[in-house]
Amino acid sequence: MKVHDVRYEHDLYSDAAIGDPYPHYAALRELGPAVWLTAHRCFAVARYADAREVLTDDVTFASGEGVGLNPVVNRLSRGTTLNSDGDEHAARRRLLAHRLTPRALRSMADDVASQAEAVVAAAVATGEVDGVRDLAQALPLSIVPDLVGWPESGRQHLLRWAGATFDALGPLNARSARATPAALGMMRFSRKVVRERSTLPGSMGSDVLAAADRGELDRSACPALMIDYLAPSLDTTISAISSALVLLARHPQQWDLLRADPSLVPNAVNEVVRLESPLRAFSRVATTSTKVGGQPVPAGSRVLVLYASANRDEREWDRPTELDVTRDASRQLGFGYGTHGCAGQGLARLETQSLLTALLRRVERLELTGDPVPAMNNIIKGWSSVPLRLVPDERRTDA
Amino acid sequence: MRIDIDEARCEGHGLCEEAAPEVFSLDDDAMVVDAFGGGEVPDGLAAAARAAIASCPVAALRERT
Repeated sequence: MKVHDVRYEHDLYSDAAIGDPYPHYAALRELGPAVWLTAHRCFAVARYADAREVLTDDVTFASGEGVGLNPVVNRLSRGTTLNSDGDEHAARRRLLAHRLTPRALRSMADDVASQAEAVVAAAVATGEVDGVRDLAQALPLSIVPDLVGWPESGRQHLLRWAGATFDALGPLNARSARATPAALGMMRFSRKVVRERSTLPGSMGSDVLAAADRGELDRSACPALMIDYLAPSLDTTISAISSALVLLARHPQQWDLLRADPSLVPNAVNEVVRLESPLRAFSRVATTSTKVGGQPVPAGSRVLVLYASANRDEREWDRPTELDVTRDASRQLGFGYGTHGCAGQGLARLETQSLLTALLRRVERLELTGDPVPAMNNIIKGWSSVPLRLVPDERRTDA
Repeated sequence: MRIDIDEARCEGHGLCEEAAPEVFSLDDDAMVVDAFGGGEVPDGLAAAARAAIASCPVAALRERT
């Protein structure tokens, strides 16, 4: 059998597939461990065990040739932590990660909790809200730009830029083409921030500049590092919170379980990220001739790891399409895995948990007042609007 | 079973501690500590230890083979 014999002809990034990718993922899992995607000229790895194996072996499956699906952006992304290997990656990662681990974030927990309280109080007072704009976006936007130290003058573009930075990592299609100017706009602004040293004092951005001053990294690496901090911190968390709202509105008995026992919230966040993984997929390049799940993969092949499929693999999960906040979902791959595993997952968990905890204290139930609208982005699986009624908890007297 | 820790990879995410507090903890530098110091994990804790290994987001933990 030739290596490209197990193949799938559909475009995983058509409008219809972006809106509902799951039937495609189920078909890919059924076909085999490594399926040649004729439309994208890469192998799809859609099963959990194989996805985990590829992410674990970061020597055979390298990130330095880019993790997107188009050569233009893969080249432009060089110099980011996402897009590097070995010692170079480890050095950038250390700089990034030490401010983002749960231990480092402990001092921020109270602040995030009170921001979440304020966001939720305002939304409950309104009653009928857009869950994306009024809850899911409101919290990260009140936390992340200050943490990174992004100057006030560049903030009005942040959501558009950050979304575009992901979108541009898709295949060369109309969406990635439309997104590329905005992604470049973010890079340009970031260069200006580094040149003018306009990061807020005490922020992560200022850490990066100080490290360059000490000669620990090249000044030319700073703009890409700023984007490393900022771009992935918004849409991903926004997607997780939006999906939590949609899922918990659709499954009120799960919401009631959380109300009865809020200590389930951390696990519920894992379960939401499992069932509605914010990142669809990133790719690697095989550095040598190798195998995935026993299937040969030639050297130089691009391999697309489908996190959002692995997390619904019926080989790994019982009742994979069911929301169950009590299941152990901690091994889900929604934050990736291994040396390139999401450096900001501690912050993402903290924000999502804080928002849900604040909602559980004030809201008896979540009711969808219309159909949630899927966001059309090549990389991020999320919602562009979630029309929602927050029914306040009458037992609460101090609201 | 025994556990191998790759200290260069550990970033202190602490999911192992949540999954198996009798086996894993974080020290003051947020570095993971194996309560059995690489020695044999009691049978009664092996399942929890394996779940903790699977939950490590940066692949810093392995079962020694």
